[in-house]
Amino acid sequence: MDTQTREDLLKLFQSKLNQAMRLYLETCSRCGTCTEACHVYASTGQVKHIAAYRHEIVRRIYKKYFKGQGKLASALGEPKELTELALEELYEAAYSCTGCRRCMVYCPHGIDTQMLMSIAKLLLVGANEEPEILSMLADSSIEKGKSLDLFKEGFLTAIKNLESQVVEKWQVEAGQNPIPMDQEGADLLYVALAGAHSIIPAAAIFNAAGENWTLSFFEAVNFGAFVGDPSRTKLILDRIINEAVRLKVKEVCICECGTAFRVMKQLSGKQPFKVSSITEVHARYLREGRIRLDKEKFKDPVTYHDPCQIARNAGVIDEPRYILQNLTHDFREMTDDVRYNWCCGGGGGLVALGEDTLDFRMKSAKVKVDQVQKTGAKILATACENCHTQLSNLNDHYQMGMNVQFLSSMIAEALVQ
Amino acid sequence: MQTITYLILVPMVYLAYLIFVLGIISRMVKIWRAPVQPTTLQIFPEKKPKWLWALHDSFLLPTVRKHNPVLWFFLMIFHIALLLLIIGHLELFKGFTFFQFWEHEIFLGKGFVGLTMIIALLYLLFRRFASPTRQISIPEDYYLLILIFLTVLFGSQMDWARRWYGYAELSPSDYQTYLTSLLFFRPELPSAVYQTGHSFMLVLHVFFANLFIMFFPFSKIMHSFFSIPMNRLRRG
Repeated sequence: MDTQTREDLLKLFQSKLNQAMRLYLETCSRCGTCTEACHVYASTGQVKHIAAYRHEIVRRIYKKYFKGQGKLASALGEPKELTELALEELYEAAYSCTGCRRCMVYCPHGIDTQMLMSIAKLLLVGANEEPEILSMLADSSIEKGKSLDLFKEGFLTAIKNLESQVVEKWQVEAGQNPIPMDQEGADLLYVALAGAHSIIPAAAIFNAAGENWTLSFFEAVNFGAFVGDPSRTKLILDRIINEAVRLKVKEVCICECGTAFRVMKQLSGKQPFKVSSITEVHARYLREGRIRLDKEKFKDPVTYHDPCQIARNAGVIDEPRYILQNLTHDFREMTDDVRYNWCCGGGGGLVALGEDTLDFRMKSAKVKVDQVQKTGAKILATACENCHTQLSNLNDHYQMGMNVQFLSSMIAEALVQ
Repeated sequence: MQTITYLILVPMVYLAYLIFVLGIISRMVKIWRAPVQPTTLQIFPEKKPKWLWALHDSFLLPTVRKHNPVLWFFLMIFHIALLLLIIGHLELFKGFTFFQFWEHEIFLGKGFVGLTMIIALLYLLFRRFASPTRQISIPEDYYLLILIFLTVLFGSQMDWARRWYGYAELSPSDYQTYLTSLLFFRPELPSAVYQTGHSFMLVLHVFFANLFIMFFPFSKIMHSFFSIPMNRLRRG
């Protein structure tokens, strides 16, 4: 690695050093309480997947370039030079971490591993060594934001084709648009994913609840966050924020996508609209009696996987349980404390990397499989696209014989006219 | 020999405290001047009042108790013993009688506080020799434990000699004379402090303590200051 590259990368490192990050870098006492916290370590027993070990890979570079210790007393903390090999090590640490923040619950100081891994991810972006797929997906999202007019017509036609399937699930009044788009003054902007499964059930439920809603032109998922690039994360986010402001909506409802919800709800700062997850909105409709569900629709026992970014990291915990109590007679909790729910093993961009990470994802999520099977449930519900894909992969790989479902799809199925 | 003793007991102590204070201030200023994290880092579900739970997390280590009860036990007795020893040392300053509302001989615990701390330190050290804690440890972790171990061992020896073996030549009043004189920048060494059979223990105790105090601001021991703000971040 030449000097100029290293200097540029260290500038990126410096840009991440805010108060919280410095505290996280300075404080680890390496007590090892986090040892059992990571699902990858719990499944594979490999020491490199202990949270404190991951931290130290970043911390050693920090010590080398940002602390006197690295220059004066290097025997104390084994600081490490930033080289090509160090980047490889950073890659392995960052892209075997799903950013679920389960270890943060274990740590007596509360160190946020996801934050520390975001340094590793940013350095990889700076060195052009990040996973290419994630970067391309992020760029195409940004491109779409810039040239909305180019794809607008095609998108409207595609949406038009879904209308009949929405009406199949819930009959709308004559003249009413089953999937309203571009509606200025709507109460709620629904940000879906690119995929009919993310639009049809949601639309049917909005119509059933009599919501004054409109569908966003943009997909919710934020590949900028997966690849750990703050500027692209913001550009992707801003597309939605600008649309919401233009349409003057009161509420932005994020579909079943953990990253999109966390980024919009918690990492976007203060907005002139309310941010809700679709699970929160559905629970609200039920509480207000705006929709009713047939409790006999699903007869098999149901368990619910809390997506890390929605539950532990964004606080949507009671709502899915309230919905499930109205949806089934046999709901079975996976864990007594949501903070300790195992990650599905697919977060942090790993699912988006597809086949490349499949083997690792299957091996690293053995503990999740055990946790699900212990409930004895037949239906595994969740409220995140990533989790759904990963859990479906696990279901196939481990021949669990489960029926993996989106919570919103189950609600749409059980709607009572 | 007397020169070395003097250097350790007087100038090195001042130097150590100078480094300690300046080091801590510079570390804190560096963090304080960094930009504030703009978004929340909270973990849910939340409990209120958040600041109280953050203190609870920092002082009672509930997560360690849940996931590693043996480690928690030794960490708790280690930190409690440390607190009692700090009180004991504060009482070596003449006139510091705050804790005497409950009348006691200086250095609470009849010598057992030091012993407890030594046992806890040995546990904390030996666990780092075993996997997987070994793989996540760095040299600093061992240096610190060994340094504190030596400091406490020699410090406790003086306590034990007096309490358990009736050795009376070196007493808290001698330490008081010495330490209080340092505080007022009029260093005075009573002959008992450096001419009795056990003064080498005092000298070694002070020597290792000086090293530890100088090392403190630049080590992970700064968690004693940083743990509370970090737990606040987690509680939101």
